Amino acid sequence: MKEVLAVRDMQVRYPTSGGLAALMAGKRATSIDVVCGVSFAVAPGDTLAIVGESGSGKTTLAMGLSGLVPVSGGDVVLDGNAVAMNSKGFLQPDRRRISVMLQDPVGSLSPRMTVQRLLAEPFRIDPELADDPDAAALRLLDRVGLSREFAGRYPHQLSGGQARRVGLARALAQKPGLLIADEPTAGLDVSIQGEMLNLLAEVQRDMGLGIIMITHNLNIVRHAATDMAIMYLGRFIEQGLPQRIFERPRHPYTAALLAANPSVNPATAIDRIQLLGEVPSLFERPRGCEFHTRCPRAQDVCLERFPQRQGVANTQVWNCVNPVD
Amino acid sequence: MSAPVLNISNLSVNYSTDRGTLHALRDVDLHIQAGRIVGIVGESGCGKSTLISTIIRLLSANACVEEGEVLFQGEDLLALDAKAMRKLRGNELAMVFQDPMTSLNPVLSIGRQMLDIQYRDDGSKAEKKSRSLHMLERVGIPDAATQLDRYPHHLSGGMRQRVAIAMALMTEPSLLIADEPTTALDATLEIQIIQRLRQLQRDVGCAVLFISHHLGVISELCDEVVVMYAGEVVESGGTRQVFDAPKHPYTRGLLECDPASIQASDNILPVIPGQLPDLTDPPPGCIFQPRCDRSVAQCSSQRPRLDGQGHRAACFVATS
Ligand SMILES: Nc1ncnc2c1ncn2[C@@H]1O[C@H](COP(=O)(O)OP(=O)(O)O)[C@@H](O)[C@H]1O
Ligand SMILES: Nc1ncnc2c1ncn2[C@@H]1O[C@H](COP(=O)(O)OP(=O)(O)O)[C@@H](O)[C@H]1O
Ligand SMILES: [Mg+2]
Ligand SMILES: [Mg+2]
Repeated sequence: MKEVLAVRDMQVRYPTSGGLAALMAGKRATSIDVVCGVSFAVAPGDTLAIVGESGSGKTTLAMGLSGLVPVSGGDVVLDGNAVAMNSKGFLQPDRRRISVMLQDPVGSLSPRMTVQRLLAEPFRIDPELADDPDAAALRLLDRVGLSREFAGRYPHQLSGGQARRVGLARALAQKPGLLIADEPTAGLDVSIQGEMLNLLAEVQRDMGLGIIMITHNLNIVRHAATDMAIMYLGRFIEQGLPQRIFERPRHPYTAALLAANPSVNPATAIDRIQLLGEVPSLFERPRGCEFHTRCPRAQDVCLERFPQRQGVANTQVWNCVNPVD
Repeated sequence: MSAPVLNISNLSVNYSTDRGTLHALRDVDLHIQAGRIVGIVGESGCGKSTLISTIIRLLSANACVEEGEVLFQGEDLLALDAKAMRKLRGNELAMVFQDPMTSLNPVLSIGRQMLDIQYRDDGSKAEKKSRSLHMLERVGIPDAATQLDRYPHHLSGGMRQRVAIAMALMTEPSLLIADEPTTALDATLEIQIIQRLRQLQRDVGCAVLFISHHLGVISELCDEVVVMYAGEVVESGGTRQVFDAPKHPYTRGLLECDPASIQASDNILPVIPGQLPDLTDPPPGCIFQPRCDRSVAQCSSQRPRLDGQGHRAACFVATS
């Protein structure tokens, strides 16, 4: 199938001059690498889940793809065409093709606008999208399963799940080919989380969307994703089909992450791999494989260079010299 | 059986809102024995924060305790004056929040803050410093001596939460209240912190009231569980009893919806149909009746009570 988006070796680097960042860097580093060389592709109907703990660079990756922060390297191909970069390094994708559902559902909605206005706004900005913005707004409301009575509400009058639906509705206004959903279920209760994921699946089916779902919740990946990538300090350290990775994770970090998932079933706690220490700071990026500081399987070579990719492309690949069996 | 540390009975708390009186807690009963870890599970809006705010006496201005009693070591917290309450909070009753910066001061070093918290204790500065060091080691802070000189912003989220836990336990409280303390952390850190907390709780011998909407975390950590729905306790009992043989239809629904326990890789997830009731106008019968697939006639007219001892549910149908 033809890909909506293909990304090769994308990088995002933030300068750290001045302020708290420079202080924390001890004035040594002048920049930090937040996304350092990730590659992936998303086809219509696919959902790529990007999993990783806070600070691993997931949001930065999403912002880079949508042209909200400058990228410092890599190739991005949208609908078969290379995406150009402007002189400041911002990608210039066709804004209608990629839309983003931001992480903070209430904070990303303007507090003084009613839901009706929030949803009509994209149509006013781009009149080609619809003849009647207000009618189109109501159709969107319907599309995300909210009744008309929500049209008059303000963002602070919405629950977490309702605000997520409004965020999704806004993201759908432009009829995108790719939706980037940043933590679409974070902070939601399990039942509401299921409703949100079911809605995303329905919208995806109806519109033939490609989805990049950023999450740190492994439990939803198994149900919602066709592909997954595990991100650690800005790199994809393991990538492939969820059923493969869940069944047989090869990177020790993936294995630890899967095993650490607290469950109501006490049997799952048995084979738990203990990780050492804390996630290193981006300001003190370890040399070699960044995971070696916490890895129970680290060898001398891991301190020297980042491991080569192994495995079978499009099925399961990992970057580790001493993978889990 | 040991004496209860916390005894909440018949607690009802309202908020006055422009839509009328909102019944945030109704007839809540909760008992925590010394040295036990009790978890509260329940979805957003079920009243977890209201309950904690009532215990630590930090309810917002529009709140009103309609009825009930909160006894902490036999003393009625609702009757204490502000000064006595402050004294209790820094000493016998400790808190850990979801955001560790709630309890950390950004402009003071970790060492200084840990010293300050021991101001009531005897002992030299050196002794107090060594106690701080020991506590940081116990919560799993690597290279604790160096960390004493650092500031909160030098630390990762996981480290900050460990420091917050260390500070909370410094005074060896009788009760630690933890409100979603691991929700913002990565799963590998979450598990480490839970295991540390469990270990420390045994050493210090305190009781813990642990709030989370993560069923797996509650299951791993807690001895007992209290399930709340829309301001009421609908089920309570030993953790394994409640999770292995849930009685209340709401608890069952919650467990069925947990994607962690669904093995099939189907991309349609189960949900609990319907919406939370409007708490300014709660249904006259069972609070869960409008969403319940097992309800009978009695459920819409009469309120089921959470009677008895041990594993129990407020439900007419699932009384077995
Ligand atoms: N504008 C910025 N300038 C400097 N550093 C930043 C900026 N935005 C994010 N970062 C840093 O980049 C890292 C990755 O952040 P983010 O992409 O938000 O991670 P995630 O979404 O995985 O939690 C973090 O360490 C964060 O502090
Ligand atoms: N200050 C307040 N004024 C009015 N209503 C409130 C206030 N605080 C909470 N509520 C309402 O009380 C109910 C319980 O809220 P809360 O205790 O925060 O639940 P939880 O912590 O379980 O999410 C909710 O319906 C909420 O909207
Ligand atoms: Mg993020
Ligand atoms: Mg709360």
